[in-house]
Order: sequence, then C-alpha cells, then structure tokens
Amino acid sequence: MLYKIDFEPLGRRGHCPDDKSLLDCARQLGIGILSVCGGQGKCHSCKVQVLTGTVSEPTSSEQDAFSSQELEDGYRLACQTYPLSDCKLRVPSESMTTLQRTQVEGVEVAVRPKPTVHAYHVQLPTPSLSDLRGDAERMLETLHHQHQIRCSHIDIDVLRDISPQLRSWKWQAQASVRNNEVVALGPWPSRQLGLAVDLGTTKIASYLVDLSNGQTLAAKAVMNPQISYGEDVINRIYQVVKSPADGTRLQQLAVEAVNRLIVELCETADAEAEKIVEAVIVGNTAMHHLLLRLPVNQLAYSPFVLAVRDAMNIKSRDIGLHIAPGAYVHLLPNIAGFVGADHVAMLLAIEATQAKGVVIALDIGTNTEVSLLDDDKITSVSCASGPAFEGGHIKDGMRAASGAIERLRVTDNLIQYQTIDGMPPIGLCGSGVLDAMAQLYLVGVLDKGGRMTQNHPRVRVRKKQREFILVSEKEQEGRPAITITQQDIRELQLAKGAIRTGIQVLLETTGHSEEEIDQVVIAGAFGTYIDVASAVTIGMLPSLPLTRFRQVGNAAGMGAKLALISRSKRTEAQAIASRVHYIELATAANFNPSFVQASYLGRYRITHGKRKEID
Amino acid sequence: MAEDLVKTIADLHEEEALRIVEERLRAGEDAFKILEDSRNAMEIVGKRFENREYFIPDLVYSGEILQEIAEIVKPKLTGANEFERLDKVIIGTVAGDIHDIGKNIVTFMLDINGFEVYDLGVDVPAQKFIEKAEETQARIIGLSGLLTLAFESMKETIEVIRGTGLRDKVKIMIGGGQINDEVRKYTGADAFGTDAMSAVLLVKDWAGEK
Repeated sequence: MLYKIDFEPLGRRGHCPDDKSLLDCARQLGIGILSVCGGQGKCHSCKVQVLTGTVSEPTSSEQDAFSSQELEDGYRLACQTYPLSDCKLRVPSESMTTLQRTQVEGVEVAVRPKPTVHAYHVQLPTPSLSDLRGDAERMLETLHHQHQIRCSHIDIDVLRDISPQLRSWKWQAQASVRNNEVVALGPWPSRQLGLAVDLGTTKIASYLVDLSNGQTLAAKAVMNPQISYGEDVINRIYQVVKSPADGTRLQQLAVEAVNRLIVELCETADAEAEKIVEAVIVGNTAMHHLLLRLPVNQLAYSPFVLAVRDAMNIKSRDIGLHIAPGAYVHLLPNIAGFVGADHVAMLLAIEATQAKGVVIALDIGTNTEVSLLDDDKITSVSCASGPAFEGGHIKDGMRAASGAIERLRVTDNLIQYQTIDGMPPIGLCGSGVLDAMAQLYLVGVLDKGGRMTQNHPRVRVRKKQREFILVSEKEQEGRPAITITQQDIRELQLAKGAIRTGIQVLLETTGHSEEEIDQVVIAGAFGTYIDVASAVTIGMLPSLPLTRFRQVGNAAGMGAKLALISRSKRTEAQAIASRVHYIELATAANFNPSFVQASYLGRYRITHGKRKEID
Repeated sequence: MAEDLVKTIADLHEEEALRIVEERLRAGEDAFKILEDSRNAMEIVGKRFENREYFIPDLVYSGEILQEIAEIVKPKLTGANEFERLDKVIIGTVAGDIHDIGKNIVTFMLDINGFEVYDLGVDVPAQKFIEKAEETQARIIGLSGLLTLAFESMKETIEVIRGTGLRDKVKIMIGGGQINDEVRKYTGADAFGTDAMSAVLLVKDWAGEK
C-alpha cells in the first residue's frame, strides 16, 4: 500500500509504502531529517509531529523518548513510525539538516531616526523624611523638571519593579517615554532597542534595531509555523471558523515563533530582550487579525470586510510578546480584507508617495498584492495567485530550501540547473518552476496555450498526462525523477494569469497602457530570486525593457523598520493607507476575458480583454 | 465529411471549420446534422480539457467557434429541428463567494452537452435558487464555490432549501476545487465534483433517472 506523505513546513510531498518508515520516506525524497543513530530509535533526533493521518503504534523506544502528552500531540520518531494512511507531518527545525532559505534583506532607505519612544537620563532626588513623594511621582516630576517632558503615567508593569530598581540604580535612571507614558525604565545608560517583524503567511522575518541610530543589529527569519494549519490564509481562517479554539492556537504559534526569533536576535546582537522598548509588526489582514485574535470570519466572505483598518497600538503583553513589559506593539494600518499592513509597509519602503510617473508595485506570494502609483493616486488589487510559486500544488514543488532547483536552462537535450546551496536536487522552488516554464516555452515544448507537445525526447506520459523530465531517475541515481507535468503548467498558468490580470485591471481602471509603465517594483522573497526575463517570457509580467524592473527584496520588512525608527514614517503609512483606492478584482470590468487571455504564454499586450502578440 | 468537421472543430481550427459548414450547407445538407457534429466535437473538447491538454482559453475559443457555426446554420433550421434540451439545471456560486471561472466552465460544459442551464451568477442567496427552481421546475441544482469558506454557505443554502420543502424534489450537487466527500456530507448535498466533467456525468446520471 502506498500513502501520500506531506512534509511541512518544507512543503515537499511524496509517496511512502507502508513497510517503509517515515524517515526512509524522507530520505528517498532527499529531505534531510537528522538521524544520528541511523534509524535504530536510540538517539531521538528524528522527531516529527504527525498532524493528520494515522500511523503505526508507538514503539518502546518512542515511549522512552516522549511524554504521554507529547505522544498525544502526535510527536513520533520518524525512524520508528510507519504510515497507515495519507499523512501530514511537521518536521521541527531541530530535526532538520537542511535549513530553509528565508530572505530578510531588503533595500534600505536612509531615514533620520526619530522614534516614537525617546530615552531620557533622569537624576532623581533621593527621598528623605522631608521629601516623601512616591517613587512614581518622583520620576514623573523629575522628568518634567529636568527635560520639560510632561508624562501622565507610568506603565503598571514598570511600577511593579520601580522601587527596588531605582534604589539599586542609585537614583540614576533612563526613562523610555512614549507620548505621555513611561513605558520602560533602565539603569543609565541603557540601549534603546526596537523590533520590526514582517509576519508573512509563509515566513516570518524579524529585525532587531538600535533606536538611537536606526541601525539593524540582527535579522532573522523562520517559516511561519501556522503553515501546519493551512498553506494559505483562507484555510487558516476556515480552521478558526470550524474550531474557534484553533484561533488561540494559531495566535500562540505566531507569537511563540516571534519570541524565539527575539531570543535568537538578542543572542546575535548580544542584547537583552527587556531593552526592546517598541515593536512594529506588519502582516496581511488575515495574519494581522489572527495575531490580535480579532474576528476573521467576515474576512473570507464577500464583501470581505476587515474588523479593524486603522493603525493600532497595543501592549506587548496583550499578545504575549517577550520584550519590555510596558512596551507597545504598533500595527500599521490595513487597506482592505485582502490587502494588509504588509502592503502598506512595502509602499512605505519604496517611497510610494514620492514616486515619479506610473509605477506598478507588487509583492508576489500566495496572495499577490499589486498597486499602481500615479502622481498622488494609489490603486490596489489583490490576486489569488495560489501557492504554486511557493512550490505548492506542483508535483515536485517545494519551498526555497537546500536542494531546491532555483534556476534552470534548457538547450536542446541538455538541462542545466542550479540548486540552493549546491545540494543534490530534490525538487523545484518557485523561481525554478518559473524558469522551467519559460525555458520549455522557448524551446517549443510548450505551445503558447501552455499545451505540452510530444516533440522532445524528455517528454513522456505518466498517469495519462505528459510530463517533461528535468532530472531523470538515472541522473538522480535511483531517487525519483524530477519532472514538470502538464497539470503543473496549468497550475502555473492560473497563478501567473491572476497576477497579470491584476496588473491589467489596474491599468484599465486608471486609464493607462502597459507602455506607459515607467517602473515595475517587485518585492518579496520569491520576487527577489526570480529571473525577471522568465516572468516576462511566460507573460506573467508585461513585456517591457528589463531596465524598468526593480527587485527590492523584503520591502515589507524594511517598511516595518522605517515605521519603527521614524515617527513621521508612521504618519506617512496612515496617509498611504487612507489614500489607496481598492478594487475587488473578481468584480472588475473585463476581469474574465482578461484572465482568459492572461493565461497565455509569450509576450503580448491585453486591451479590453483582447490579446495582441508583440515582437 | 462529418469526421472532418468534428475533428476540425475539436482541433480548434476556426476558419477551416466555418468553411466546411458553409460548404455542407451549400451542398444542401441538413443544418441539424451540422449542429450535431458540432456538439460531438465539443464533447471531444471537453475530454481534452479534462486531460489537461486543453485549458480555459481553448474552451472559450471552442465556444466562440460553436457560436459562429450556430449563427450560420440558425436561419436554415426549422422550428422542429431545434435542439431538444435534455433537462434543466440551475447553477450559481453560493452567497459570500464571488469566484465564477469554475462555475462558468461547468455551465459551458453542461450547455454543450445539451442541458438547459440557468446560471444565476455569483454571490447567490439561497432564496434565488429556490425562486428559480419553482419558476423553471428544474430538478437539478449545482452550488459552486472556490473558497473553503463557501462550504458553510453551501450548507446554509441547502438548509434553506430543505426548509421550503423543495429538498426532496431536487438533486443538489456541489462543486469546487477543494471539495471532497467529507464536505458533501457536511453540507448535506447529494453529490460533489471537483471538475466540470464530473458535473456533466452527475447531471446525465440524474437526468436518466426520470
């Protein structure tokens, strides 16, 4: 009996016979799960969590390795466990030998730091029988006296430690003031740190920033552990609708992941988490709402209304974030149900308000947000591009991790490819899939409608459909071949067609033609690694001179950082959010005919649902 | 000759197909026969779509070719020769969901397979399905939805239909990329499909039960 096994958060799937352990299955697929003892059940390094499906009963070595609670939660040793049905597994990062590539870098924008939280050196008068003021009042009055800062109160958690602290610091303190509140106290001098987080559907990127000079001290990213509850936001929302308790679990997963990142960031920068006096978190609307435990039900039903649109300030402790107890988390404003604060952050980072000419700015992901900037107008759409570019729904697709084919060229019978970290190939990540499609089109294996022809020795028929062999069984030395199937191509056509249609609808709504586009700004991890020429070849992006495209990396993360270190950037973010005119793509004029035309490969223009080929 | 037209349409050669149609009409052939060939060709198109060989644009294109042929032959058709429509089907994307590409393909496929389809569009409230069923006496209702959230809406729609006493008189199928038998049970539908061809097979099956 053969079962389908889904390894998360890697997103790699494969088939496993019931007489092979989960570890063997992983190995066969080239997924690096640690196994120090070589599969004897002794070292307990190959821990996995069974999320769905049934597996064999725990063996005695697993009874030793896990508590009964852990076993109940589905924790197992991959080497001891055999599938009894299709399964979905989570491979914890400590069990993985291959590390996921997560991109945190973005193009930095220079901005003069003027953070919301400001630090003041306070020299307090020592209390005496003739000065019986409370420690809090003493602090507030001295702040006013020495710095002309009028604060109304001190955070309750700060107050709980204030008396012993001021005494141990010999009445010499640093007060972190936010608007009219003291949010943290420390010995003088202390570092003033900030945290910026881009909470993505697939990936969480985080930055530890020195608020005094705006420098990034450390940057780290992890996969979003919520993936186990659904690859896209719709599925996660559905989980919460079905079982409200999962809402709490999803929130915890995100917060735990950010807390772990904070620990790692602080280790790297040799800093203490209590010195983080402000955080900015950006995410799409669903991630934003899930993080705050806001209602999400209505987000997924037409007309897709958000619970909260404006920027928010909440105490870090309200969501369980482990930074200074009195610190605030600032959440940038959202735009609409499917265009969130992460897009606002991206527009902030690319300085959308000062853009010249007609600019298309897009952040490609499971959901692709696209904005058209023109003078002071911003028009946005959201395209359901699906998980294909994250490697999802593609037979040999995977997320960008070691061994993923990220670049590919086809010349006659020769396939040349490059894998992440130069490891033996185990699958294709988004940029590899995109290259494969463009190359197969250029060599004529795919016609412009996306049909795979049989005119190439590497095309074969499996399970009643054509597929193109990228790496054969022989080249893989016995491991399964890596192929791209007709069905994969259809998935990609839907994904890329959705993006192109989004751009098209924006152009038509604002009365511009493709030729008038001065610049196309591509943000996001996938967008950074793609070969833009391939994206143009398959008609995902408009056919324009390549010099008009700019890949800016994780702009959402950069925007979060800007909002962290600059008060005026926060105001600008609010201005951007309220300026955006949002269009619901599926109801736009010419959506259906444009979408049909946008599924074609090649270079063409679309006008009012009609396609005209160029060159 | 018949072979030629079927193959030409199925291969999506528009001009060639139109030329054959004109020729056959000039030769005095029965217009109804030409329409029947066209319908056979569309069945091949449908099968190729199921095999992923054809894609959405191909379906749309084939539909355009069919439309053109229909316009040429229509004047030659006598009333008695009109297509005899097999059965009536009401279809729509359920309330809360606005995706219609999948639903449109199902509508198209049912139409070329000879069914009388009433497409109610997207974000359709339960009441609309009921009104249309009463008006047309259709026995088959198809509920479409792309988002997983549409499952809730499908369930609600079917409950409302049940409340009117109409449930026993109609067969209800649900369709969408993410649907499986669990979802069918959850929503209380009679059957489900994840692609257009399964909708056609279901409807043919139900229509044959008469």
